Amino acid sequence: MRRDFTLFTIVWALVTAASLAVAYFILRDMSFPTHGAEEASVIDDAFMALTYLACPVFGIVIAAMVVALLKHRSSGPNNGDGERILGTGSLPVVWFGVSSLLCAIVIIYPGLTGLFELRDHKDPDLRIVATAQMWAWTVEYPDSKVKVFGAQELVLPKDETVEVDITSIDILHSFWVPAFRQKMDAVPGQINKIYITPDRVGDRESDAAYRLQCAELCGLGHAIMTMPVRVVEKAEFDAWLKQQQSVTEAK
Amino acid sequence: MAAFTEAAHAVAHEPHDEVKHVRMNRLGLWLFFASDGLVFALLLSARFYMNGTDTAPDVKQWLGLIITSVLLISSYTAYRGETALHHGNVAHGRLMLMLTILLGVGFFAGVVMEWSIAEFTVSEGYGTSFFSMTGMHAAHVASGVLLLFLAWRKAGKGYYDGGGLKAYGVSGVVMYWHFVDVVWVFFYPALYLIK
Amino acid sequence: MTRVVRAPIVVGLVLAIIGFAFGAGVLGAIRTARGQSFWEIEVGMSVGYVFALIGWLAGVGGWQHWGREWFGLEAKPYTLTGWKRYFGFSPDHKVIGIQYAVTFIVVFLLSGLTAMLIRVELMRDGKQIFTPDQYNAAMGFHGITMVAVAVAVLLGGFGNFIVPLMIGARDMAFPRLNALTYWFVPPVAVLLIIAVLMGGWESGWTAYPPLSSLHTKHGQVLFNLAVITFGLVSILGGINFLVTIIYERAPGMTWSRLPIFVWGAFAASLISFFFTQALAAALLMVLLDRIAGTSFFRQAEGGSPVLYEHVFWFYSHPAVYVMVLPGFGAALEILSHLSRKPLFAYRWVAGAMIGIVMLSGIVWAHHLFTSGMAPYLHAPFLVLTEMISIPTGLIFLGAIGTIWAGKLWLQTPMLFALAFIFNFLMGGVTGIYLADVPTDLHLQDTYFVVAHFHYTIVGGEIFALFAAIYFWFPKFTGRMYNETLGKIHFWLMFIGFQLTFIPMFRVGIQGMNRRIADYPHEYAGYNTFISLAAFLLGSSFLFFVWNMASAWLKGRVAEPNPWRASTLEWQVSSPPPEHNFDEIPVITDTPYGYGGGPAHHRPFAGGALATEEG
Ligand code: HEA
Ligand code: HEA
Ligand code: CUA
Ligand SMILES: [Cu+2]
Repeated sequence: MRRDFTLFTIVWALVTAASLAVAYFILRDMSFPTHGAEEASVIDDAFMALTYLACPVFGIVIAAMVVALLKHRSSGPNNGDGERILGTGSLPVVWFGVSSLLCAIVIIYPGLTGLFELRDHKDPDLRIVATAQMWAWTVEYPDSKVKVFGAQELVLPKDETVEVDITSIDILHSFWVPAFRQKMDAVPGQINKIYITPDRVGDRESDAAYRLQCAELCGLGHAIMTMPVRVVEKAEFDAWLKQQQSVTEAK
Repeated sequence: MAAFTEAAHAVAHEPHDEVKHVRMNRLGLWLFFASDGLVFALLLSARFYMNGTDTAPDVKQWLGLIITSVLLISSYTAYRGETALHHGNVAHGRLMLMLTILLGVGFFAGVVMEWSIAEFTVSEGYGTSFFSMTGMHAAHVASGVLLLFLAWRKAGKGYYDGGGLKAYGVSGVVMYWHFVDVVWVFFYPALYLIK
Repeated sequence: MTRVVRAPIVVGLVLAIIGFAFGAGVLGAIRTARGQSFWEIEVGMSVGYVFALIGWLAGVGGWQHWGREWFGLEAKPYTLTGWKRYFGFSPDHKVIGIQYAVTFIVVFLLSGLTAMLIRVELMRDGKQIFTPDQYNAAMGFHGITMVAVAVAVLLGGFGNFIVPLMIGARDMAFPRLNALTYWFVPPVAVLLIIAVLMGGWESGWTAYPPLSSLHTKHGQVLFNLAVITFGLVSILGGINFLVTIIYERAPGMTWSRLPIFVWGAFAASLISFFFTQALAAALLMVLLDRIAGTSFFRQAEGGSPVLYEHVFWFYSHPAVYVMVLPGFGAALEILSHLSRKPLFAYRWVAGAMIGIVMLSGIVWAHHLFTSGMAPYLHAPFLVLTEMISIPTGLIFLGAIGTIWAGKLWLQTPMLFALAFIFNFLMGGVTGIYLADVPTDLHLQDTYFVVAHFHYTIVGGEIFALFAAIYFWFPKFTGRMYNETLGKIHFWLMFIGFQLTFIPMFRVGIQGMNRRIADYPHEYAGYNTFISLAAFLLGSSFLFFVWNMASAWLKGRVAEPNPWRASTLEWQVSSPPPEHNFDEIPVITDTPYGYGGGPAHHRPFAGGALATEEG
């Protein structure tokens, strides 16, 4: 028993350390799509926090299994029984307490704190209206009466907070740009809002994360219900808007 | 666990066993009510979710009152029938069951009438709640009537002679009838009375 | 010839066809009288189906053996013997258990083959074998059939066969209801297959309106009817288990002496009898919107698609615990017997199962974090959902405490049970990422979710299922499977499974959303890898099928208790005698008498009960 506990502790420490190392050095840099908006930090940080917390929990279970598998194999049913440990002592109480504590931590950080951070009211610099239909997006810039549709591009200025009003004219769809992380369903007859502050220049051509992808099953054209996204400097954005305006007026 | 002592007392067909059997049936029935009740509860919630607390101005209050009374009275006759059959009074029991059936049919007819004279359609918000709730309930009433009829017939063939546990089948049917009745007690105000 | 014609399934089919014609005919007559066309496909199919179902159930034996009694006639005796019992109406819980198990394993393989086709399509970007339409049909079929398998195979198959034996009962509480319940299953399968042949439906297994209520194909109606019918199976089965476990326990079989698998079945039944109605109600609303013109999901009339999402997940979240609770039970049972140790912290584990049941009903809206539901609902559902990890963690404590310092006999069932711990840990912990609103906003509807639920369902429940299959195979059939083939199956499945689903987490985070037939070229590398691994995973089942078929037909004859296990089902012959126990046993101790506890693994004499005192 004693030796089992020693082995358990060693394996637990090793697994925890190794998985933490993998998480810190590899996952943190490699997992996420391009970080394209300020809000993405909340989400990526939450993801990593959960991963770090999961490592020791993972380690406990793996270590217990490793000990049992290395030291307590048997070749048949007639080699006697294991020890009669019933688990009626205080271990379950401790386990219950510790996992409740862990759960409380996870709920508070990154759960509720992250939620309230994302919920924080922001004053948008720009408002756009994204309207979904089977199977294309229409994005409107109401202040300048510009509209983009289908395979055209959704262009956003860098470092400005954008309010996206999301709605649908037929069935459920969902607004999602992987680089910006947040996702919100487009519900007919209802306007759902998200706030995005793009903080990096990028476009669909070089990066699949810069695409507006419908993320709610909507039938036949669901997969191709996308729109390229381009984030540009503010000046470039203004120029683009002007140019679009003249195109609209020319029509 | 395989530490067995002597065999237990023989199990088959002791009177004790029949009591257990009835208990099991009763529990099964109650579990079914809980489960079925959830459908009604969900429809009721959907009604408030969709229509808030407004009633359609044009439901027929008088008709609602009549069918509700008819259904409530039928619960009383059903109860009388059940008691009579339990006490071995088959003739009275059958009479009461038949009365219940007639009242049930009356309720059903009332619903059909309500449906045909309603001044709103099924595709309106209120109509959606109204027709689906009354429809689901009426389907239960219809099956209840069918079950009551079967019980009435079996009573006539002498299956419940002697009463007591033998008449458990009737209790089951009557409990079902009360259940359907209780559901209406919730539906009636939600569909007719709320302003 | 007349024998064939009188076979229950044939009679059932004939009555089903007559029923359909009757229902559709009467409806047509009414429609004609009202000046509408005689035949309208969706209404016609729905009404016809209701009567077809009644005809089918009556024909396969419901009328002969039961219905007649309601009409004051004598019920007919059960005359089928031997293998024919499996194709008829049998009240024997052992026959019904095998009916469920075999049916759902066949459906599992069929649905798994569909998954292989899905992986062929996703192997590269662009079109491989499916148009988007066909892809949606395949995906919906895979999803709903697998969910049905997951909900019913352990409870229906193993619950029916094993639970009465484990608690020392002669049968289930309502044997005829049990038989009738099973015969609801074939129509479900037939409806879904016909739906696919008609071009399928487009709304996946979740059937969100307005897509499902206003658009998509006629197959949607069949889908709804199938799922509502399946709901009845779940409800009636659940009630039967509850009453059985409450009333049919042998003398001395107190609640604290129930084997843990029985607790798992009990907890799962609590959920399925109470919540399944919500699924039926949700799909009924969709059906009514389609065929009766109601407006449950039309915004203009006050209806709302979000209403559907609430009602649907009110069932479908608890449903995941209907899947996994019997899985916990089976895995813990096997871990205990094959480690030769009593179940660790028994009372905590049983309590945790009930805790999961209680929490399961109040967390559903974690599927709605991105649906646009009222924002004030996010925080409570985040908190409640994450709290489920506390009772689930206790189950893990039970598992690792049980193998600690045991004598692990690494036969095939044990390997599967150990893999269950690992897989479900992965699945459960990734569930926390989804329950956390900030991360879910990104991960919802991506392959991260797909990986999460395959880890919990396939890695958890299905691995537990295979543990249970190998463990109880000798009891079911009286024959022993081939251990080598079993181990090959295990290793191929375990490795194939990890290689298939781990990369899905990554590609999901990277931005690949689910339910798409085509994806940006950037994700092609991962997907090729995933598909190849999935084929490896699929190939493992060839060994399984071969092993089962050959063992059942000509395997070595099994002893009554090959595992020297201590629960009651192992104290009777393999397969068990017709009425299970010649004499109802009296229980005097807990089920896990290992390591100096009460007596166990007594050698067996001629199918009689071991009667030694411990
Ligand atoms: C058997 C099936 C099963 C099981 C058991 C679970 C278990 C859990 N699931 Fe999962 N889930 C599904 C099947 C299942 N799920 C399916 C099918 C879907 C997708 C449906 C669809 O959209 O098609 C889904 C989707 C899904 C979502 C929605 C994702 C989305 O679409 O946005 C969420 C969000 O909260 C979620 C959460 C959880 C949680 C928190 C658990 C928890 O129960 C897990 C608890 C377990 C642990 C946490 C591990 C063990 C615990 C410890 C070792 C203790 C210490 C740990 C801590 C304190 C953290 N699941
Ligand atoms: C019990 C539940 C379960 C199980 C076991 C599986 C098993 C598998 N699933 Fe499935 N899956 C779901 C439940 C399940 N799935 C659900 C609910 C969805 C969501 C649907 C939706 O979004 O609506 C889904 C969706 C889903 C998707 C996403 C589709 C999409 O979003 O576009 C993918 C993609 O790879 C996938 C793959 C697989 C694979 C490779 C397996 C493999 O594990 C399968 C392995 C099994 C086999 C390969 C069988 C092999 C059989 C043979 C070799 C033949 C044997 C011989 C004879 C017949 C004689 N599944
Ligand atoms: Cu629009 Cu999916
Ligand atoms: Cu859930």
